[in-house]
Amino acid sequence: MNSNESTTNDLGLTLGILLLRVWLGFRAIITGLEKFGGTKPRDVEVLIDGAANDYGLVETTTDKIYSLSNYQGVPGPLYSKFSSEPFIPDFALGAYNVVLGPALIILGITVLLGIATRISLFAMGLLYTSLTFGLILIKQDAGIAWLGVHIVLIVMALGLAKYNRLAILKKW
Amino acid sequence: MDFQLPNLTRRDFLAKSSLGAGMILGAPSILKASAPGAPADEIRVGFIGCGKQHEVLFNAMVNIPGIRYVAACDIMKDRLGRTFGAIKSRFGYSIKRYLDAADMLEKEELDAVFVATPDFWHAPHTVMALEAGCDVYCEKMMSNTIEGARSMVAAMDKTGKLCQIGHQRRSNPRYRYTLNELILKEKICGQLINMNGQWNRALSSSQDIVSKPSILPDADTLRRAGFNTGADKELSLEELRHRFLNWRFYKDLSGGPISDLGAHQIDIFNWFMGSQPTSLQASGGRSYFKDREHFDNVMCIFDYDTPQGSARAFYQVLTTTSAGGGYFESFMGTEGTIEISEREAYSNIYKESGADNAKWDKLVQRGLLKKEAAGVAAGGSDAIASYESAPPDQYALPGGLSKAPHQPHIENFLSTIRGEAKLTCDARHALESEAPIYWVNEAAETRETIHFTEEHLHT
Repeated sequence: MNSNESTTNDLGLTLGILLLRVWLGFRAIITGLEKFGGTKPRDVEVLIDGAANDYGLVETTTDKIYSLSNYQGVPGPLYSKFSSEPFIPDFALGAYNVVLGPALIILGITVLLGIATRISLFAMGLLYTSLTFGLILIKQDAGIAWLGVHIVLIVMALGLAKYNRLAILKKW
Repeated sequence: MDFQLPNLTRRDFLAKSSLGAGMILGAPSILKASAPGAPADEIRVGFIGCGKQHEVLFNAMVNIPGIRYVAACDIMKDRLGRTFGAIKSRFGYSIKRYLDAADMLEKEELDAVFVATPDFWHAPHTVMALEAGCDVYCEKMMSNTIEGARSMVAAMDKTGKLCQIGHQRRSNPRYRYTLNELILKEKICGQLINMNGQWNRALSSSQDIVSKPSILPDADTLRRAGFNTGADKELSLEELRHRFLNWRFYKDLSGGPISDLGAHQIDIFNWFMGSQPTSLQASGGRSYFKDREHFDNVMCIFDYDTPQGSARAFYQVLTTTSAGGGYFESFMGTEGTIEISEREAYSNIYKESGADNAKWDKLVQRGLLKKEAAGVAAGGSDAIASYESAPPDQYALPGGLSKAPHQPHIENFLSTIRGEAKLTCDARHALESEAPIYWVNEAAETRETIHFTEEHLHT
């Protein structure tokens, strides 16, 4: 088999790893960004006969906004459940809460752009495993299964890593 | 030429300057009375009573600009401390604390006083503050006696000061819109024939209030503050403290649940009907809380003569159940029913099946109403066709209030002080509406119909 044939035969696998990187990268970036998301109520004057009403009646709508002040790494309800778990010390939960969002965004970017893809995928797998650990403790079986699917995708991507041609930093 | 400056107080200035005439005339007095650096239209506020209702009012005030909190008064030091702390932490300055209202009124230069004391103190505190030259916002019920309420109206008239009574629904945009636009202008209810209102509160919310004894006033303080009023024996410290915390249970200190909860809603009946009732029947009982002086559950019926014809209103206050839709007032007419509540969740509008569809559709198009759902017949094998009415379509108000429920009423009071508005519930109008309520307990005790006369209802 000459090199041209090899490249042609590998094209599907090259596109496969690219697709996995795009999926896993966006998944992590958007999840991380959402942790900075929140809502802000906004009052809109009620119009009667096309004009603002005289009574001060308003309709309240909510706008979605992103800001540092909205940041919550571990969602509130989960945080309170984790905090009562003896296997999760308070200081670790606090640190995890701070790190989780930025970690998802950074790993998502590195996987998406192909920067140290294998190390990034492995770190992402560890991050999802850590989430799984917490969900096992509070018996969230659906969430565990969902994270399991992510792990399978990461393992598939690692398996295809040698075909990872469209990457910025191919080393590691 | 002998020229004399008018004797304007700072409070007069607030009203006159906003009308554009007092900026020069009022300058000497404002310079004297106002704190250095304070905006000219800042209203200097004092509180009499720092309990739970005071907290409701304060929380509704914190987003209103142009208020300078100056002093607070309460016989309980712990409450005073809480008010002091709340103002200090939110606004960064200190207020003066007093244990005696007269002392506060004498020493402080106040424009407005908020009275949120037990009902039996409303009239004395309000009259005292009006006579001290302050405009007053007093919580409802005006007093535990109709004579007390009348004394407040007299003091308001005599002093010429403002006296707003805390029937806050009167300033609520949803209520004002419903009355002015939907009932009076568009007449969506048709002929209003029946009204129905209720406040159903769970047993768990009707229990005795308890507190840590160490923070409560001592016996002498409570006696001086009149918490032994009406007692036929020397009260122990424990009994006095029970009266202090649970004054709503005692006849000489309050009007009981019909006054405490019912006053808000019966006021709406009278306000919306634009008239006082002609007669009253009532029933009540100490059915669960047998050792309380007031009835724990009361039901009453008021009759009205209106230009449209006779109408009647049923009201119940229950302190032993929360089922049945919470608290609302319902106005039932031949073409539609408006069920309104301070809580949007309890508010609904229904169109009778025989009402003019085109008229209601047009109201929706113009933005006066929102259509929610078409009426759906319940159906089922137990439905007997000849018993059933066609189900009404459901509508809603086009908008709501995005503030604390008390905020518009306080804003109205403050705007009126500045001369920019008119009180939505001054003491006289409040008493016209409240007067029939003072007779409910008596009607329930005697089980006799009261036919109202001028004697009963005059203000």
